[in-house]
Amino acid sequence: MKSNLPDRSLIRENLLGRLDHEKELEEQLSHDICFNDELSEMVEFIEEEIIEDFLDGTLDAADKDAVNTYFLRPPERKEKLRFARLLRNHFEDQHQLVGTVSDTRPSAYTNVVRESSDYRAPIPWWSHFKTYGQLAALIVLCIGSLLYISALQRKEADLESQLAQEREHSASLVKEAPILESSLIPLTLVTDRSRGDDTQIPHIEIKPSTRRIMVDIALQGHSPGPFDVRLETKAGNGPIWSARLLPLVSSSGDTRLVFDLPAQGMESDVYSFLVSSPLPGSGSGKHYDFRVELAH
Amino acid sequence: MAPQKREKRTLTPEAFGKFLRCLSEDDELAVREYQRIRTKLIRFFLHKGCTDAEDLFDKTVDIVVAKVESCVEYQNPLAYCYGVARNVWHEHTRERKSVTLEVDVASPEHPDPKVHELELQCLDRCLGRLSPGDRDVVTRYHGQHGRDKIQVRRLLADGAGGMNALRVRVHRIRKELRICVVECTKRLLN
Repeated sequence: MKSNLPDRSLIRENLLGRLDHEKELEEQLSHDICFNDELSEMVEFIEEEIIEDFLDGTLDAADKDAVNTYFLRPPERKEKLRFARLLRNHFEDQHQLVGTVSDTRPSAYTNVVRESSDYRAPIPWWSHFKTYGQLAALIVLCIGSLLYISALQRKEADLESQLAQEREHSASLVKEAPILESSLIPLTLVTDRSRGDDTQIPHIEIKPSTRRIMVDIALQGHSPGPFDVRLETKAGNGPIWSARLLPLVSSSGDTRLVFDLPAQGMESDVYSFLVSSPLPGSGSGKHYDFRVELAH
Repeated sequence: MAPQKREKRTLTPEAFGKFLRCLSEDDELAVREYQRIRTKLIRFFLHKGCTDAEDLFDKTVDIVVAKVESCVEYQNPLAYCYGVARNVWHEHTRERKSVTLEVDVASPEHPDPKVHELELQCLDRCLGRLSPGDRDVVTRYHGQHGRDKIQVRRLLADGAGGMNALRVRVHRIRKELRICVVECTKRLLN
């Protein structure tokens, strides 16, 4: 079928009105165009080709004259020409519009084409959605970054605030430290009543801030314990406080009882810890005296 | 659209109905066949550079309907009508005076700015309705100048199966676009 189609140049001549005086040829061609759909489409195609050439300015003077005086007579063809021009302008405008964008950010398509030529691809109007998408993504990224930075700044401010609070707290702790220190007073007892001097018994000063007494009693001998410890007055009243404790035994064999007891209720007086072993036959125990003075 | 004043038609509804009945007993098929003949003959007149193709077609139909006594003569309606159309064209050619172009043919803008604006809107819409492949082809085909254009079209032709196949494809896309824009503009104007 295709081989029966007339030569393209002949169709072109016909469309430019140059066959109107060659009756037989024109008649045959017109008949074929009317009855052969494929040829009819080809004619339309060549018609458009003439319009494109006209717009491109590639027609020679004779063809251009034929287009102006014959081909463009029908309003329908003028409309086709106008549409072709409209379409071209549209794409050229788009091309110019996106040209600057494609200069700095080549698309994947551009890259492919550039591999084989120095061609800079047009970016079609609808691909602006991509640009818009990129812009939107950039805006979202900027907003996200701002939010992130803002969050960091808030966090930093919070941390600074916490740090300031901690510093204040530390400062208050430093201020309170002596108080804490004074709330806990040490009492070391080394000599029991049987070996000590009544006039030189250890003494502690209990201040109003004193809460507890840290007691360290160095025991004689190497008993592993346990020991019953009772706090009494020197006269033997009590117990004011009592506990059964295990001693701390060092590697050298020293045995110590280390404990603390509340200072509350103690008055200026001589007190004694009675340390005894609960084991049968271990004796009545030893007294460790100490003097308490209440400070005002 | 036609620059010449239309002559008063002698065609009556009865005569036209008779003509349609000769095209087909089935009303729908008859109308379809009439449209096919109309399209082909109008295209014929256009190919012959006639400024008033529709008027000439009407004249052709008037003559055909007036001449035909029975449907026996309509064994091949298109061929019959084409024969009459050629005579109409010859007659028209003899009467035809030289015509000067009325508008600037190079202008892409419709004389009415409102219509031009609508056309641009419609062009955007219609481009959006094309398949991605067609859109890509028509954009690349029209998007370049000079040496770039030649290179791009060569690349496109490689993908389309040759330059001729590419031209045919672009032609079909442009035709689809043109029809779409014309219909869209008409809709928006109404």
